Amino acid sequence: MDLCNVPPPETWDDVTELDAAAWPRRVEHHSMLVPTACFNCESGCGLLAWIDRDTLEIRRFEGNPLHPGSRGRTCAKGPATLSQVQDRQRILYPMKRIGPRGAGKWARITWDEALDTLAASIRRELVAGRKTTVMYHVGRPGHDGAMERVLQAWGVDGHNSHTNVCSAAARLGYALTQGADRPSPDYENAKFILLLSAHLETGHYFNPHAQRIIDAKSRGAQIAVVDVRLSNTASMADWWIAPHPGTEAAMLLAIAHVLLNEDLVDWAFVDRWTNWRETLAALRPGTPMDLEAFKVAMREQYAWATPAFAAEECGVDPATLVEIAHEIAAAKGAFSAHVWRNAASGNLGGWQVARALALLSILGGAVGTKGGTNLAAFDKFVPAPALKPPPQDAWNPLTFPDEYPLSHHELSFLLPHFITEGRGKLAVYFTRVYNPVWTNPDGMTWERVLRDEEAVGLHAALTPTWNETAELADLVLPMGLGPERHDLQSQETHSARWIVFRQPVRRVAMERLGRHVADSRGANPGEVWEEEEFWTALSWRIDPDGSLGIRTWFESPSKPGTPLTVDEHYGWIFENSVPGLPEAAARAGLTPLQYMRRFGAFEVKSPTHGTHAQPLPTEGTVTDEADTVRKEGRPVGLVVDGQAVSGFPTPSRRLEIWSSILVQWGWPEHAMPGYIESHLRRRAPDELALVPTFRLPVHIHTRSANSKWLMELANNNPVWIHTSDADRIGVATGELVRVVTRIGHFVDRAWVTEAIRPGVVAASHHLGRWRRHDEGGVERWASVKVAREELEPGVYRMRKVDHVGPVHTDDPDSERVTWTEGGVHENLVFPVQPDPVSGMHCWHQVVRVLKAGPDDRYGDLVVDTRLSMQVYREWLALARPATGDLHRPLELARAVRPINEAFRRQR
Amino acid sequence: MQLGFVIDQSRCIGCHACTVACKQENQVPLGVFRTWVKYVEEGSFPTVDRHFAVLRCNQCTRAPCVTICPTRALHKRPDGIVDLDRDACVGCRACMEACPYDSLHFDGGRGVASKCHFCAHRVEQHLAPACAAVCPTQAIQTVDLHDASHPHVARVRAGETTVRRPEKGTGPNVHYIAAAPVALRPEAAHRPSAWLWSQRAPGRDEVIGVGAADARVVMEPVHAVPWGWHVTTFLLIKGAESGFAAFAPFTPLPTWLAPLVASVGTAIAAGLMVADLGRPERFTMLLTRGNPHSWLVRGAWLLMGYGLLQGVALLDAVLGSGSVAHALGWVGAALAPAVAGYSGMLFSQCEGRDLWRSRLVVPKMLVQAIAAGGALTVALGAPALLPVALAGFVAYFLLALRFRVGDGQPAHYLRTARPRGLHPVAVLGAGTAILALSSVLPPLALLAVAALFVEDSAWVRAGQLPSNS
Repeated sequence: MDLCNVPPPETWDDVTELDAAAWPRRVEHHSMLVPTACFNCESGCGLLAWIDRDTLEIRRFEGNPLHPGSRGRTCAKGPATLSQVQDRQRILYPMKRIGPRGAGKWARITWDEALDTLAASIRRELVAGRKTTVMYHVGRPGHDGAMERVLQAWGVDGHNSHTNVCSAAARLGYALTQGADRPSPDYENAKFILLLSAHLETGHYFNPHAQRIIDAKSRGAQIAVVDVRLSNTASMADWWIAPHPGTEAAMLLAIAHVLLNEDLVDWAFVDRWTNWRETLAALRPGTPMDLEAFKVAMREQYAWATPAFAAEECGVDPATLVEIAHEIAAAKGAFSAHVWRNAASGNLGGWQVARALALLSILGGAVGTKGGTNLAAFDKFVPAPALKPPPQDAWNPLTFPDEYPLSHHELSFLLPHFITEGRGKLAVYFTRVYNPVWTNPDGMTWERVLRDEEAVGLHAALTPTWNETAELADLVLPMGLGPERHDLQSQETHSARWIVFRQPVRRVAMERLGRHVADSRGANPGEVWEEEEFWTALSWRIDPDGSLGIRTWFESPSKPGTPLTVDEHYGWIFENSVPGLPEAAARAGLTPLQYMRRFGAFEVKSPTHGTHAQPLPTEGTVTDEADTVRKEGRPVGLVVDGQAVSGFPTPSRRLEIWSSILVQWGWPEHAMPGYIESHLRRRAPDELALVPTFRLPVHIHTRSANSKWLMELANNNPVWIHTSDADRIGVATGELVRVVTRIGHFVDRAWVTEAIRPGVVAASHHLGRWRRHDEGGVERWASVKVAREELEPGVYRMRKVDHVGPVHTDDPDSERVTWTEGGVHENLVFPVQPDPVSGMHCWHQVVRVLKAGPDDRYGDLVVDTRLSMQVYREWLALARPATGDLHRPLELARAVRPINEAFRRQR
Repeated sequence: MQLGFVIDQSRCIGCHACTVACKQENQVPLGVFRTWVKYVEEGSFPTVDRHFAVLRCNQCTRAPCVTICPTRALHKRPDGIVDLDRDACVGCRACMEACPYDSLHFDGGRGVASKCHFCAHRVEQHLAPACAAVCPTQAIQTVDLHDASHPHVARVRAGETTVRRPEKGTGPNVHYIAAAPVALRPEAAHRPSAWLWSQRAPGRDEVIGVGAADARVVMEPVHAVPWGWHVTTFLLIKGAESGFAAFAPFTPLPTWLAPLVASVGTAIAAGLMVADLGRPERFTMLLTRGNPHSWLVRGAWLLMGYGLLQGVALLDAVLGSGSVAHALGWVGAALAPAVAGYSGMLFSQCEGRDLWRSRLVVPKMLVQAIAAGGALTVALGAPALLPVALAGFVAYFLLALRFRVGDGQPAHYLRTARPRGLHPVAVLGAGTAILALSSVLPPLALLAVAALFVEDSAWVRAGQLPSNS
C-alpha cells in the first residue's frame, strides 16, 4: 500500500478527488492546489489550498510539502483556517462608526471613502511636518520589512508592536549575549534539549519545532522542560522542573555552577568565541589575561549559586540540576536551549533568565553549533525590495521613551499611560491584527484613551475579524486571512534559511484559469482586501501628485504614473534578492514569480550552523589589539586561530558574557548574567503567583475565536490550582473563585489539579472574549455581551449579561454550540508592570485567591482605574532613564530603525 | 489486505491537528468527532504525568457494528476498512451500542450514523487519511497489517504494540506504541465535571466523579446516549401486549380482545421504533436489504409475522366464525415469548454495553412480559391473573437487584454501569402495592406498569453510561 500525504507537485493544476460529503457515492471534483502560508501563529507554515476548479470554492487546507520549515505538516490551526475563511460572522465590508465612538452602530462604506478619510488625515500631519502622530500598531506582522517600507516612505516614526507584551525580556537577554534578539535552536541535531518554553504546543515556532524536537527524542535526545505548570511539552519531557516562579535564573545559574565547578565547561569554545578577556578585566581589574584566571573568576562569580542554594531558593531537587549539567556537558555542543516567553516574560528581571540560559549554551560550547542554539539572524532571510525608502529622521517618545533605552522594542502597552501623561497625541492610529483593549494589561485605561477623540484622532482597525478594540474604532477595515493576502515571510525554524510566499489562493487560481483579477478584493469574500495593496492605494491618495515624495515608492517601474502591482513588487524581489531562486525557477521552466506562486516556498541555504565561523573577506578591514576585525571603525568580525571570521553581531563580535552595554546604560550591577529577584519573590503567605502566560495548542492569542473547530476544543480557561491550595481555600473543581490583583479581580471557575506547582495558579489567556453591543463584535460562539457599571468613582465592574451559545447563520454548525461560558478575561484586571531594563510587561501577578462570595458571578471583572495609573508610576520609577547623548545604544536593534542622527536626544 | 493505523504515543504531542484535519476533511459537525485526543493525568505533584491517546474507529477484523447493522450500511471493505453507506443507514444507532470503543456517532443533520472510514475517499486516490497527513510529529502511520515487510507491522507482530480493550475480541486494527494503559482503558480513570481547558459537554453526567482516584481523564468528547424513551416504551408495550396474548387464551376474555391488543400493540411498538430512526422513511430497508445476522432484522421479521398473524385473528374474530381466531390465539400465545424475549438477543448483540450482555437479559425480557402482560390482563378484566402478575413483579424486582451487583468489573466502574436513580425496592414495592390494590380497582394495574417503565428506563440508560473512550 502506497499512500502519499499530498499529490505530487506536477499534478497540482488538476487533482481529482472524491467528495467526502457525498461518500460512498463517488462524486468527483477537480481541484487546483495553490500554496500559501498559514497566518494563525508566527511560524509561517506552508499551506496548500485545494480549490475547486469549477466553483472556485476552497475545499481544504493541507500542509505544503515543499515548505522547508513545516515539511507538509501543520498543527490544528492549519486546517482550522478553512473554518475561519468560511466563518459566517466575519467582517466582509469596510465600515465606519455611526454616533459616538464605541456606541456599537456601524454603516457600510466604500473602500474609496475609507481611503480618502485616512489619506486626508495622514496628509495633513505630513504636510505640517508632524512625524510622530501617525501610528501603525501591529499585533501579528506576518511579513518581513513590508511596513518598514511604508512607514519610511511616509517619513514617520510611527511603528508600534506587541513585542513588549510578548518577548521583550528574552529578546534583550539574547541580544546582549549574542547580538541577535532571537535564538534558533537546531533541535533536529540536538542530544540534549532544555526548554523554558512550551514548544511542543505553542509559540514560535510550534509546529516546525515540535517536529524536530520529537525527531530528536525518537533518536534518543533527552529533554528537560522548565515550567510551573505541566504543559503538554513538559508531559513529553524526561525532566519536568517546576521551580518557584521567578527563581528560574537562579536555578539556571546553579547549573552553570555545576558546569564550572566540575570543570565540564567547553573552555576551548569559550576561549575562541566569547569576550572572556573583557569579562575577566571587568571582574578582576588588573589580572593578567589568562584563561585559568578567568575560570577562577567565573567560579567565584557563581560560587553562591550552589545546587543546595537553588534547592532552597527555587524549590527544586538539587540532584536534578546536577543531572542537567551533566547532560549539557555530555551533549558536546549538541545542546539546544530556548526561552521565549515563560519565565522571561513573567518576571521582573526576566531578561536575566535568557542571559543565564545563553550562558549555559556558551559553557556547553553550544552556540552556532550543529545541534546547538543558533542565532535567528543566521537562519532568517529577508530579501530586499526594489524600492526601499531611506530611514526616517524622527524619534517617537511614545514608543521609545527615554526611561527604557534598552527596551526590546516599543513600550507598546504603555501607550495610553503616556498619552494620559500628556507625552503626545495621535492624529491617526492604525491597529492591525491587534487587540490591545483585550490583550494588553490594564485594558480599561486603553479603552478610556481610545474613546478620547482628542487623544486619538482617527482610529482605523485593520482586521479580518471583530475584536474588542475594533469596537472602539472609527473605521473597521476587513483585511484578508492567511489565504487571502500577499506577504513574504521567513522564520528561523531550524538550521536553514527559507522564504514562504503567502498569497490569496482564490486569486491565484482565478488568474491561472485566465481570469483577470484587478486586486485581491476581486477574489476574497465580500470586499475583504489585503494590506499590501491597501498601503499602496493609501500612499497614492496621501500623495496623489507625488509632491510629498511618497508616491514614488509605490509607483510601477515599468509603467510610471501607475501604482506598483504585487506582481511587480514580488517579481522583482524573487528575481533579484533571493540567491538561487532564479536558477531553480529556470530549471522548472518558470519565472521566479511563477515559481513562488506555484510552489510557495524556497530554501535559500541549509544547514546554517557554523555561520559565525565563516571566513571573513579581509579587504578593507583592520584587526585591533583585541583581535576584533573592523571595517570603517565598525566591528565586523574577529580572528580565531589566525583566521578572520564573521563571529557574532555583538560589539565585540563575540558572545558577550559581561555586557558593556549594561554598564554604559546604567545597570552595572547586572553586567554579568545574574539573578534578579522577581516581583513575585516577596509574597505574603496568603498570596499566590498567577501565571497567565499559559497558551493552548489550539488557540492563537485573540485571533482564533473565529474558528468553530478550535473553540469547540478549547472554550474555557478555568483557574488551575493545586489540590493543596484548593483545599486550603475550600474550593472544588467547577466552583467559583475570586482572583484578586493589585487593581481589581476576576471571577472564574477552579480547576483543581496536581499538574501545577503549589502556590501557583494559572489560567490560559485565550478565552473570555466579550462584546458591548448586539451589532458587530466577536463571534457568538466565543463572546458574551457585557455591561459595565461604575460601582464607585473610578471603579468599574464588567458583568456578563448573556452567554455563549448557538446562533442562527447559514452554517448549521453555529446552532450546534454546546458550550455556554466561553471563559474569563483575566488581562483586564492586571496593572502594567514594565520591567525597568527590558521594558517587558512582567505578566505574572501576585494575587489572592478567595472562594467566591454571594455577589460574585462567573466572569465578573472589577477594576479600580485609579490604581492603574498608580501602579504604572511605581514601576516607571524603577527605570533608569537615558542621561547621555542618545535615546538608545546604537549597537542594539530597533524596530523600523531611523537614521543614527535621530538617536540623539538633543538635536 | 487490512488497512490500519500504528499510532506512536511516544511521538504524539496531543495537539489535536488530527482532530481538526478530520473535521475539515469529512465536514464533521460540531459536537461529534470521528477522531479525538483523550488526555489523562495521573500522579501527584511533582511526579505527575499527562498521557495522550488518539482514539478512533479500530476498523475491527470482527466488527460488532457490522454484525448489528440492520441494513448492511456498515460493511467491511476488501481493504479492511469498515465503511458506512450513508444512503443505506436508517439511523437506528444500534452500531453505537455495539461498538466497544465509542467510535460511531449520530450525525443529526443527516439523521444517520457516522464514523472514521480511514478516509476511504482519499485512499482510493492514493492519499493518506487526513489525520496521518497532517500529524506534525508523524505519530499516526498508516499500514497494511498483512504486509509483514513493513517495520511497523513487524513491531505489531512482535507484540510491541497494544490495542484498546483486547478482551472484547473484536480484532482492533489500530495499534499503539508506548500508550499509557490508563489512557487506553476507559474504566481506568475517573472523569471530573469539567475539562482542563473546556467545558464538559452535557450528557452521561452520571459518570462524573466516578473512577479510580489517581488517574483523571482531563479531556475527551462526551458521547451521546443513543437510545432513550422510544426504546424503553417499545420494550414495555411489546412486553405487555405479548404477555397479554400469552395469558388471554387461559382467561374468559372475549376472543377478539387478544388479537386486538396484540396487533395494535405491535403496531404501536413498531411505529415507535420507526419514529426513533434517524431516517424513518427508510424503514423498509430493514426488509429490502436486511442483514440476517442483526437481531434488529430478525426482530423486525418476527414482529411483522406476529403482527400479521394477530391481524388475521382479529379479522376472523370480528368478521368471521372466530374459530381461526381461537386457533391463532394459541399460536400467538406460543409465539409471545419469542416476541418478548428476542430483544434480549438484540441487547446481547450490543457489545459496547456490558450491562446488557448479561445472560439474564432474555429472562429479564420474559419476566417483564409476565409482569406487564399479567397486569394488563388484570386491568382488562381477568382478576384471576393477579397472582401471576404479582409473581412477575417480584421476579422483575429480584432481577433489578441482580443487575445492580457486579460481576467482575471494578467497583468504581459498576457505579455508573448499574442502574441508578429511584431505588428498585421502592419503585417495585410501590408498583407491587398498586398492583395488589387492583384487585379492588382493576385499572390500577395499568398504573403499576409505570413502575416497570421507571426501572427499565434506568436499566436502558445505565447500560449506555460507561464511557468506551
